[in-house]
Amino acid sequence: MSLGGAAGGAPSAYDPKKLRMYGLVGSVVGIYIGAILNSALDTNLFSFIGAVAAIFAVVMGANAVRRVCAYGIGTGVPSIGMLALGMGIIAVMFGLSMAETLGSVLLGPIIILIYAGVFGYVVGVIANKVIKFNIPVMEEGNADLSMAGAMAILGWSFAVSGSLGYVNILNDVLMTGYIAIIFIAGGLAILHPFNANLGPDEKQDRTLVNAIMVSGLAMIATGIAAIATQGLAAGLLQLVIGFAIWFYFFKMFYRLVKRDASAVVGTGLLPPTVQ
Amino acid sequence: MDAFSMGLIAAMGALATVAGASEDIESDIGSQSNPNSQVQLAAQVGNPHRIYNKAISGEPPANALWAATAAMVAYTLITAFQMPALLALVAGASVAALFNGVFSMSSYFGRNSSQKRFNQWVYLDIVRYTTPSIMAHAWITSFCIATISYIMVYMLPTPHPFPMTIIALIWGLAVGAIGSSVGDIHYGGEREFQNRQFGCGLNTMLSGQIVRKAEAGLRNSIDNAWFCTKFGGPATGMGFGLTVFLDNWRTTVFDPVTQASFAIAMGLFFIIVMVIYNNYIEKSTRKKYGPYPEYKGDIAA
Amino acid sequence: MNFDINTIVYILEIIVGGLLVGIGVHFVPVGGAPAAMAQASGIGTGTVQLAAGSGLTGLLAAGLMMSVTDNLWLILASGAVGAGIMIGSTMLTGSWIYAYAVGVPFASAKVNFDPITGFSQPPYVAPGTVGQGIPTVCFTSGMIGGMMGGLGGAMIYYPLYLINGNAALSAMFAIGIFLVNAVIASWNIQGTIEGFHDPKFKKWPFAFKACAIASILLAIASVLITGGA
Repeated sequence: MSLGGAAGGAPSAYDPKKLRMYGLVGSVVGIYIGAILNSALDTNLFSFIGAVAAIFAVVMGANAVRRVCAYGIGTGVPSIGMLALGMGIIAVMFGLSMAETLGSVLLGPIIILIYAGVFGYVVGVIANKVIKFNIPVMEEGNADLSMAGAMAILGWSFAVSGSLGYVNILNDVLMTGYIAIIFIAGGLAILHPFNANLGPDEKQDRTLVNAIMVSGLAMIATGIAAIATQGLAAGLLQLVIGFAIWFYFFKMFYRLVKRDASAVVGTGLLPPTVQ
Repeated sequence: MDAFSMGLIAAMGALATVAGASEDIESDIGSQSNPNSQVQLAAQVGNPHRIYNKAISGEPPANALWAATAAMVAYTLITAFQMPALLALVAGASVAALFNGVFSMSSYFGRNSSQKRFNQWVYLDIVRYTTPSIMAHAWITSFCIATISYIMVYMLPTPHPFPMTIIALIWGLAVGAIGSSVGDIHYGGEREFQNRQFGCGLNTMLSGQIVRKAEAGLRNSIDNAWFCTKFGGPATGMGFGLTVFLDNWRTTVFDPVTQASFAIAMGLFFIIVMVIYNNYIEKSTRKKYGPYPEYKGDIAA
Repeated sequence: MNFDINTIVYILEIIVGGLLVGIGVHFVPVGGAPAAMAQASGIGTGTVQLAAGSGLTGLLAAGLMMSVTDNLWLILASGAVGAGIMIGSTMLTGSWIYAYAVGVPFASAKVNFDPITGFSQPPYVAPGTVGQGIPTVCFTSGMIGGMMGGLGGAMIYYPLYLINGNAALSAMFAIGIFLVNAVIASWNIQGTIEGFHDPKFKKWPFAFKACAIASILLAIASVLITGGA
């Protein structure tokens, strides 16, 4: 991991508030649509909508990583990703369990969102006031990260298990161990884009396309998991859609790389130096 | 304690040693983690290069992903299709290697295109012949770690309560932390800066002056890995192998239900031996190498 | 969900576990990227990465012990020893590379005399660097830090397993709480630290307060989670 290159305040072509709104609305609405369709039609085929909803949350998280890390917090990008996922998993389990206790499964995403947002904001306040970072975007950046991590985990857990019920998620996602791949693939989906595109000429659209591409890979992974928990049809559907998303956005990423690099050559000796 | 479980422990130790070595070589071929900061810096100080700039987040989360992917696919194949374990583990490792290829390529493309103002080019032939080597080593690492997790959950007499994928995640984090702490020093402190005087740390004046012109032709990452397999890789393998072996050997020799305190006492014994051994190495290097001649202060050596 | 004196004890155990993790991170000698180039003393990796690797290995050992016994002290001790062995092997094999491959004597530039062995440090610091290798004080400090991390991880896992009885759920929860505390503590360190002899070590009260606040919120959420019907 390396910190060099980015100055404070990364330039953005897309407004962070808009990205946050798209991310939250996209992921929450997507999960609800998937859950309602699955339970109303008594099928498993719509679980893939949860994985697509997770993509919205990941893009929001990757942008939050861009904004926070551009200030140089001293520990590097990977820790932020691990923090987001750590906060997210606790929020998801707490929210789903609370929803089960309160009686209605559909309350789950709302409780998760509130807890994740509040906890992320508190961690940001701790960083600024107790550890004395004094970074302007720390509180809202951390809240963004926490909500993004929570929604991403919830989206992928729904994609693997097919329902939002606490006991179902416990049996299908936790006891089987699939939570581990959701955790780490989600963490890398949020932190890899900024880390892989670090440098003075980093462009926001290339970073966010990279985020969508990695989420496609995560969807392939949850598709494989869904083959075991939901049967061949639902699992293969997720796998194929995930592969299509990955392929399309990898080609777009390569096109942006050719646009941005100083030269993309088949082979060659060392380039002439600038200094 | 019986012959079968001792044999399993020995197999786990051997697998862990191989996993540690291949993890370190994978990170050296790609120049991942901490020495990568010098590779990144090199272009910025006017030294564009042909080294593979693989920046996937640092080794522990990355290796956790390959190991967890392999374990997850293997678990799915074993439970849903009743595939034999070895075949399932091979398939799992292949999926993990493919994921590794995608991440490595995206990071090389991304980092080099974000250094446009320093005229760092993107070399497609570097991508073509280095990425398969990285994928192959990631295959070995994820196969070994997934097999260790499988043995811990399904074959040992006291099976582990955690699911197989979570155990693979944790061992992946551990092997990444060990590879980053041990093998990367051989790469970063020795091979990356081989054109300076041997026997001292890296002077801050030399930051960014990595070796770009090799013994014959331009230096690339495969040359770096060739060097590091001589010492860095095996040392990392020893580190991870010692961790896995000593941890599990204690709880298999001493039955955890009745003789748990013996197991803990054995662990404390190993810890004390390590402290004493490190002290011995420190004393012996001080005696053999002596103080630096550039030191002009007044504290006695 | 009955809220009685046991729940208060569990909440306190989780908070103490989180604090142990947070303070333990301050003991581990982490040199970051410079240490990997033999430019600074300590282990050449990131704070969170090493803390996560060692603490979670301790969690594995504690999880195994908890499946066969209920004795709190045995579980905590096995967590600490498991993490200690991992950090010890890491530092020992790292010392081999420093001593035999890079060829440097171990020295730290933060003190003039090693507090434990009394060896003099400045003559053995290479010019242009701030130390290299893992001197005995860093090794011992790292051992203490690793064992505290493993102890903290085991102490978080123990009450969670007693509340919900589900090994996988408790394990993922423990990993989450562990990572949150480790990252907050690493923010306090700002990247590199050499152990308890480093002047940066005096900043630990800030991390204590920060981890306490975070752990209280996480503990309250954790005890309200059931294990499923």
